[in-house]
Amino acid sequence: MAQPFPYTYYACDCYESRFQSPLAKRNSRAPAEDEEERTFDPSNPRSNYSLFPLEHLLYCEDCRQIRCPRCVVEETLNWFCPSCLFEVPSSVVKSDGNRCTRNCYNCPVCTAPMTVSSLEDPADPSPSGGPYILSCPYCHWSTEEIGIEFEKPTGITGQLAKIANGGKPMQTQKERDKERERRKEAERARRQDRLTGSGDEPPQSNTGSPPHDDVFASLSSFYKSQLAAQTPSNPFSHDVSFTSPSSFSRIMNLYSNPKKQKRDKPTPMREAASALEGLTLHDPTVDTATIERLKTCGWSSTLSSTQQLAQPPGAHFTSSLRPIATLLHTKRGKRCATCRHILSKPESKITSTRYKIKLLALNHIPRLSLRYLSPLPITPNHPVPQTPNPANFSYDNITSGLPIHFLLHLSNPLFDPIRVTLATPSTTPGKIASAVTILCPQFDVGANTDVWDDALGVDPPRSGSVTSASDGQIEAGKVWDRGRNWTSVVIEIVPGFKKSVTSGWKVPGAGGERERGEGSAEQGDDLDEDDDVLEIPIFVRIEFETDVLGEERGEERGGAKEGLKEKREEAFWTVVGVGRIAG
Amino acid sequence: MSRPTARKAAPKGEYIETDSGNKVSRRSAITGTANITLGGRTVIMAEVQLRGDLHSTRVVPSSTGKDVTPTAISIGRCTVISTGSVIRPPYRISRGQIHYYPLKIGDNVFVGPNCTISAIQIASHVHIGANTVIGPFAMIKENVKILENTVVPANMIITAGSVVGGRPARVVGEVGEGWGVGSTGGVGVGGGGEKNWVEGGDLRELVRSIK
Repeated sequence: MAQPFPYTYYACDCYESRFQSPLAKRNSRAPAEDEEERTFDPSNPRSNYSLFPLEHLLYCEDCRQIRCPRCVVEETLNWFCPSCLFEVPSSVVKSDGNRCTRNCYNCPVCTAPMTVSSLEDPADPSPSGGPYILSCPYCHWSTEEIGIEFEKPTGITGQLAKIANGGKPMQTQKERDKERERRKEAERARRQDRLTGSGDEPPQSNTGSPPHDDVFASLSSFYKSQLAAQTPSNPFSHDVSFTSPSSFSRIMNLYSNPKKQKRDKPTPMREAASALEGLTLHDPTVDTATIERLKTCGWSSTLSSTQQLAQPPGAHFTSSLRPIATLLHTKRGKRCATCRHILSKPESKITSTRYKIKLLALNHIPRLSLRYLSPLPITPNHPVPQTPNPANFSYDNITSGLPIHFLLHLSNPLFDPIRVTLATPSTTPGKIASAVTILCPQFDVGANTDVWDDALGVDPPRSGSVTSASDGQIEAGKVWDRGRNWTSVVIEIVPGFKKSVTSGWKVPGAGGERERGEGSAEQGDDLDEDDDVLEIPIFVRIEFETDVLGEERGEERGGAKEGLKEKREEAFWTVVGVGRIAG
Repeated sequence: MSRPTARKAAPKGEYIETDSGNKVSRRSAITGTANITLGGRTVIMAEVQLRGDLHSTRVVPSSTGKDVTPTAISIGRCTVISTGSVIRPPYRISRGQIHYYPLKIGDNVFVGPNCTISAIQIASHVHIGANTVIGPFAMIKENVKILENTVVPANMIITAGSVVGGRPARVVGEVGEGWGVGSTGGVGVGGGGEKNWVEGGDLRELVRSIK
């Protein structure tokens, strides 16, 4: 989802660690090292799939790794209709599909939820208050346009299944299944009759093509019968009976040389041959009728492709629209794909929004944020109150070539002080190369202690640190400011140029200086969408000492002392979206 | 009671602050103040219209026998209504008569600038982007993010934790597990002039910063 500038995305390396490292291992040693050294390229198309905002990331405390939506396993806790908020048991979902079977429908034209309204004539009130229609409050489409009215305001699904477009009664799925069985029986009886020589009634011709569901049901039952006829009774069961010749030969095949024995060709399956088996013959009159209809009604009576997708196949005209039953929602828990530990588990009650378990990356990973730092006067004699005025600065309109200072703010959610090392490529990857310098790439961030410590000034050495450049001077190697559990450092960015600068002149000290071949310069000219977005990949490595977890300590209780510390580190790539280069 | 006090504005400021910490802009248009409740620490910015006069006209039999003033709009704590937004209770026509229904907005709701809201209920920790229209009787559950320029059709129910957008609104995603976590609790982000509130989170800091 697009976020306003400046934003920070965190990269989850699950794809690389799962799919690329075995490849690197298989190759020689050098590429593997290259893989390690490689800087993260946010403009790489694949990066889109590994970058997430921090709120979407979970943290597996056992693997000690970030878990993104791609490397968790989801399990459905329950199904419910988002519109009527009724829980649907999973057995019903399996039998009836993942749509609400109550009164919830979406407009087939605009997808807005539809409401049941009464068409009762006030002058002539009916006892039931009806007739009722489904109508869309957004685009004012209603089932009246397809000639459907309901007798009752409830049980719309049941009523809708019995009414075809135009108000004619229609058989429900069950009735149709029954009907098909009956016709099949009749067909079989007739064939028997024909074999015996009696009964020569012609098969009644059915006018119009059968509905799509009907064809599907016939075809599926036909193929099922074909498969049942083809496969031996129970090929995958364990109690293999040697009496069956097919299973015996299968076992013999397993233990003998497969090359010598020629596999017997499976007998080709028959395709559906009659309408009862699901055969539909192409009817040219349908096509001509469609064309005629297009001629008379015009383009406006046809469906758009998105509308068609939501409809049963074969719907082309607005007259064949049916209201769409609302899709069900799920509540899902998440597990780590590697160690199967639960990472998040919402309460199973639909109305509840609380979580039983929620292991957020927010609580384990420092939060990075970027902010514009207004240029300060060079003369230190006139200390101007350092109130950066972000109102004047537009992140969407960054001037090329001029160095801009930003504050990179890092806050620590951990209860131990951390030591942070930041790394960034000196020029950003991508078509516009901007020069980036983190003025203080290595610093400490205080522990996330009680909020009151900050307010009461319990920890004076932290607030008035010697290294902080509180006098408003931007100086390399010094942090800008720091507080209880946060530290901010200055980052200098020289945005690159949109137009190719390689041919004639070079910008001193800027990213445009980067050597490019003639060919790449030509490539740089045609910028794609979002190529002008200034994104900085920053590698963050944190080190800290923490108490050994209670359960781990329990294992070695004999030798271990209380307050045992262990050294831990985390490392990950982040991408900071600074803004858009104006050019 | 959280109604803006009627005292004369001695210190000229943008906002009138009530005893419970509500900040109501002098340039907001509020009608029917008796029918509006603000939970405290709630901000009503300039050019906001609160239509408290559109209250339920049905006779409510009260148990105490006293005449109870009907509530038209009730807004929870730490909610921010940005400039130019219009909050008007939804109505339904029944037997030729217009009946208004009370509009409820929960805690820590952010309503962006120039929104029109006629929902029946907006739960807590909802973020509504700018220029959004929320149709009559729409119900928005907890932890929902509504993107900018969205039109939520009438009677739509938005389930908890959804991200909706488009015209008409449809669910386009889900908010992450960390939605609204950040500014308070164990994770202190603030300090150093940093933006110390997050969408869907506790808006107390934002309310405090509005002057």
